[in-house]
Amino acid sequence: MKRKTERQPCEAGRSMPRLDAYAKVTGKTRYASDFYAGDMVWAGVKRGGVPHATILSVETEEARAVEGVIAVLTAEDVTGTNRQGVVRKDQPVLADHRIRHRGDPVALVVAESRRALREAVDLIRIQVEPLRAVLDTDAALRDGAISIHEDHPGGNVLLEGTLETGEGEDAFAQCDAVVEAEFQVPMQEHAYLETEAGWSVLEGDGVLKIEASTQTPFRDRSEVAEAIGLPVDRVRVIAPYCGGAFGGKDGVTIQSLLGLAAMRVPGRPVKMWLDREESFLAGVKRHPARLRFRLGAKADGTLHALSADLDYDTGPYDHLGGVVTALGLEHAGGPYRIPNTRVRARSVYTNNPVGGAFRGFGVPQAAAGMEQVIDMLASKLGLSPVTMRLKNVVRRGDRNAIGVAVLSSTGIHECLEVLEGHPLWRDRRAWKDRCPPARKRGVGVACVMQAVGYGPKVPDVANAKIELTPEGAFRVYCGVVDMGQGNITTYLQIAGHVLSQDLTAMEPVLPDTDQTLPSGSASASRTTFTFGKALIRASKLLKRRILERATDLLMEEDPRNLDLVPGEVIHLTSGKRIPLSQIALILNREERFAVARYRAPVSRERPTDREDLRLHGIPHTVFSFGAHLAAVEVDELTGRIAVKKYLVISDCGRLINPRLFEQQVHGGVAQGLGYGLLEDMIVRDGKIMTGDFSTYIIPTALDVPNMVSLAVQMEEKSGPFGLKGAGEVAVDAPLPAVANAVADACGVRITRFPMTPERIMEQLERSGEPAP
Amino acid sequence: MSGREARVWLPGSLDELWKIWSDAPDAVLYAGGTDLMVRRRKGGPLAGSDLICLERVADFREIREEGEEILIGAGCTIASLMDHPLVRQNFPVLTQAFKVLGSPPIRNMASIGGNICTASPAGDTLPPLYVMDALLELRRENGLRRIPIREFITGPGKTDLGPGEVLSGIRIPRLPRYNLHHYEKVGQRNALSISIAGLAAIARISAERTIEDIRLAWGSVGPTVVRSRNIEKALTGKPLSSESMEAAFPLVDRAVSPIDDLRANARYRRILARNLLLRLPFRGVHP
Amino acid sequence: MKIDFELNGKPVSVDVPGDRRVVDLLREDLHLTGTKEACGSGECGACTVLVNGESRLSCLMLAAQLEGKSLTTIEGIGQGKDLHLLQKKFVEYGAVQCGFCTPGMILAALRLLRQNPRPTRREIREGISGNLCRCTGYQMIVDAVEAAAEEIGDERA
Ligand SMILES: Cc1cc2nc3c(=O)[nH]c(=O)nc-3n(C[C@H](O)[C@H](O)[C@H](O)COP(=O)(O)OP(=O)(O)OC[C@H]3O[C@@H](n4cnc5c(N)ncnc54)[C@H](O)[C@@H]3O)c2cc1C
Ligand code: FES
Ligand code: FES
Repeated sequence: MKRKTERQPCEAGRSMPRLDAYAKVTGKTRYASDFYAGDMVWAGVKRGGVPHATILSVETEEARAVEGVIAVLTAEDVTGTNRQGVVRKDQPVLADHRIRHRGDPVALVVAESRRALREAVDLIRIQVEPLRAVLDTDAALRDGAISIHEDHPGGNVLLEGTLETGEGEDAFAQCDAVVEAEFQVPMQEHAYLETEAGWSVLEGDGVLKIEASTQTPFRDRSEVAEAIGLPVDRVRVIAPYCGGAFGGKDGVTIQSLLGLAAMRVPGRPVKMWLDREESFLAGVKRHPARLRFRLGAKADGTLHALSADLDYDTGPYDHLGGVVTALGLEHAGGPYRIPNTRVRARSVYTNNPVGGAFRGFGVPQAAAGMEQVIDMLASKLGLSPVTMRLKNVVRRGDRNAIGVAVLSSTGIHECLEVLEGHPLWRDRRAWKDRCPPARKRGVGVACVMQAVGYGPKVPDVANAKIELTPEGAFRVYCGVVDMGQGNITTYLQIAGHVLSQDLTAMEPVLPDTDQTLPSGSASASRTTFTFGKALIRASKLLKRRILERATDLLMEEDPRNLDLVPGEVIHLTSGKRIPLSQIALILNREERFAVARYRAPVSRERPTDREDLRLHGIPHTVFSFGAHLAAVEVDELTGRIAVKKYLVISDCGRLINPRLFEQQVHGGVAQGLGYGLLEDMIVRDGKIMTGDFSTYIIPTALDVPNMVSLAVQMEEKSGPFGLKGAGEVAVDAPLPAVANAVADACGVRITRFPMTPERIMEQLERSGEPAP
Repeated sequence: MSGREARVWLPGSLDELWKIWSDAPDAVLYAGGTDLMVRRRKGGPLAGSDLICLERVADFREIREEGEEILIGAGCTIASLMDHPLVRQNFPVLTQAFKVLGSPPIRNMASIGGNICTASPAGDTLPPLYVMDALLELRRENGLRRIPIREFITGPGKTDLGPGEVLSGIRIPRLPRYNLHHYEKVGQRNALSISIAGLAAIARISAERTIEDIRLAWGSVGPTVVRSRNIEKALTGKPLSSESMEAAFPLVDRAVSPIDDLRANARYRRILARNLLLRLPFRGVHP
Repeated sequence: MKIDFELNGKPVSVDVPGDRRVVDLLREDLHLTGTKEACGSGECGACTVLVNGESRLSCLMLAAQLEGKSLTTIEGIGQGKDLHLLQKKFVEYGAVQCGFCTPGMILAALRLLRQNPRPTRREIREGISGNLCRCTGYQMIVDAVEAAAEEIGDERA
């Protein structure tokens, strides 16, 4: 007879509450920004302040003289390479001879107090010789444009790629209907609530310890070491729970600066924490892009030809701009079968704020274009947008728009079928008819896909470690950061599932280059996918070891007669129980640990032979999908758009924790709605004009509708418990879904996003829509 | 930025205020601090100045009836006024504006006096106060003067406040004859949003839906709030309909002088200035 | 400047510059880091505290203003096993992701429920509209507050 336990063991598929939530609701969680100590000093930087210039000199005497100032450093004081970056290492820690955007750090101040710090920073004078600023991609590409990086063989083009399938553009001649459009999508701020923060100390043993709000502790360690000139084993990076990141902390923000500062005050902790305005100035952004799309179909709605050009403004540095470009290239044709395509994407250096990683990674831009032109084409052919898409979405085994066979689980067709049968779609006419005066209602859809993982050339590897503690509990050494997605909870849930334990018997060790194993970044929708799989392996190893030991204890022959239950091993035939703490005692230290590795599968297809494109991720093999529906009301008097209802149907494989999955969907949609409707980053002369929360408008609780989130749970064999990535795909669709809904409501489309009321009104007037 | 720490006083009464102020004449006043602290953060001379906080001056926190008028203390917070029965019953147009000002914590801190003295063209309480012809009470150590709000505000961020003078109260006549009360602001989002354009209206509408009397004031479409007797006269006697409103558009065009800023361009503001009138025919009218 | 006030139910006395922002007093001097700063200018609500039960923004308030007042921070709401109902619901309903907005959000919601024990979903959204959250899309926060209100209502009934 089985004894009923009060505690429920973890189980994949169940919505377990987040482990980290308890400390977060009480304010106990210590974020990197929460560190204070009595002997702590502050670090901060003087930034370039001009978009493009040669530095003649940096005058620091006055700053040094301020009482409480410990050190003022410039590029000359950096002994390492003074370069950071993931692919091209082109970003200086402290600008040497050149300023390439207004936020470039030029001098670093270490001071006893924030007051002294501020005063000193204000007193630093940078003498410059201005260079002509390159303020948009056209200017950057013009003949004779000044090169932002003289050593870059591609000039101002960071990365450019073209992929062609079938007959390419020639196939437009065979189309019965063709549409064409150009769109501009904006720069977007991550606007994580915790701005860039961290602290560092040079410890007695010569190790530089850095705790930072970061997504990438392991990569940071090597970047920092190289940039500031330390052996890698003398740098330790710790990544606590992070107050939001979304890609903006995928790479070094303040870490190298902190390291430089800490080296000046051995033994004393140094803190750096950007205020909101500085975070806007210095932080990376979603790449603004110009999109040109041409799409053609046969009379029955079968897509036949696509031509797309995507130009991304990457700012002055390669903060994963190449990867963003490659993802744009790969996703330009969306989740559709299109036999003849030509897509080109490029990222271009400018002196605007730095473009970088942001949830969706180049895909929201691509989807903004593709999902609107397909609607335009459907309406030209007199087809419903859902019918049009149902006809063309990829099924497993089909070739996608870059000619790569989609071999992993592919549920977009199923998503669309659910959407088609949903009352929000089925009953849309009745809903539209009930429109209040001076308003117009419309319903729009969008379909998207998002690659999971790094692609064919960069090993997408995770290393999991799990320990049976001497007390008989389990400790999971988490290699990937939890920036709010809840993956740490999912990890414990995964291990708990394999080991039949409940959450109370398990504890995480958060990412720390000294304690946990390198497992890559918290990005690319891979956080749970790759590490989860490694952790299943490690947990199984440990389980086997525990059961084997228990067989010895019981003089039993067959480990299959034993199983784990919370806190104990149970002998199934006799009902005898051995507490895990007892087993822990007879294992030696090494045996209490299990380690396992997983490398995500890669596609064997070769849509391109260009190794640089492959290095940047083309092609992927696992994709998540989503079909979205937005129901909007447009105020004809003001042009304001209210999103009334929102439906998301996702294919992210089998869900391990449905609640955490839904959190990702909600968050992604809200961010996508902000991107499409509100977040109008204005940059003039390389300067962000909307550089704080009073002018950069993100959604409040009154701006996001209630969302309905459904999932078609198809199993993905390569993922843990059948799961695929879920962190990004939801952000890709809201902009086009709303744009399509607005077009449905009042027949206008704008070409420059976000859809501010001002732009909508202008279109309404132009389209001759009489105001009532 | 000066290294000196600033002194802060919290007078409990007017008498205390005068005393403190005469000892520290350079000290800057604030009430809720929702404008002043934000400006202070940006540096400049304000960053190091001494401060006098008005939130405890009891005389400024009163709301009382005085004959045909209601007197609102300048220090009353937006939240306290929003919930006050005298304000709710008598000045629905003002209550509507309160509801869309800032956010709950901002309303708990922000004072109505601060909104007036900040004199932003986007200040949400201003258009309602203009249509109600609010009268401001200004005090100095030995004197009191009363001045209509439209004379007090002289430009964006500019007022007629003299040295050593404070705004102590706002007098608003009861307006029983008006049965339509309307405030609409267009902002960039639904909370925490600064007005791109706003319209306050109070009107007397007859049973036959004729406009017998109307007062209108626009925010954010000029250097100060725009009130136009011409438009009000033109609409008087007309039916409450979209056609009547549209007929007034040319007058609206002449009355407003919007600018481009980060939140919107002038062209859009002009469109809004007209179109917001078209909401009036859809407004409920109290019997 | 010497300032006496009540902090999470206990009298405290501090000697700090009167123009020190309350958020700095809490985080740096009193080591109560549950109160967050995410904008410093009133726009985000991460620094929300209750002063005599009313929600206020500690980044726009000076230490001197605390004299004689009762200040409640997230640390005074419920700790350890002894969570406030609202905190429990935040955990249970998935209202927490990165958690950086959470302390301010909970205080804003607490203030709302004290003022309006049975709010509609729309009223809940209004009540937390001064608190930005970049992670959740707000829906699960609304769910959590709604659930807490229902349970409080049931207990009263
Ligand atoms: C996040 C945020 C959102 C906001 N949203 C809105 C909004 O939607 N609509 C809107 O209109 N405003 C908004 N504001 C602006 C501000 O909240 C209001 O203007 C508020 O009414 C100011 O009141 P206060 O008491 O806080 O003013 P304070 O900051 O205390 O003072 C403002 C100015 O008035 C002076 N002053 C204050 N009281 C007196 C007095 N009695 N006599 C003489 N001078 C005085 C001060 O010296 C100071 O110069 C917002 C502010 C923030 C930070
Ligand atoms: S930190 Fe106070 S409101 Fe943002
Ligand atoms: S949970 Fe991250 S900001 Fe709200």
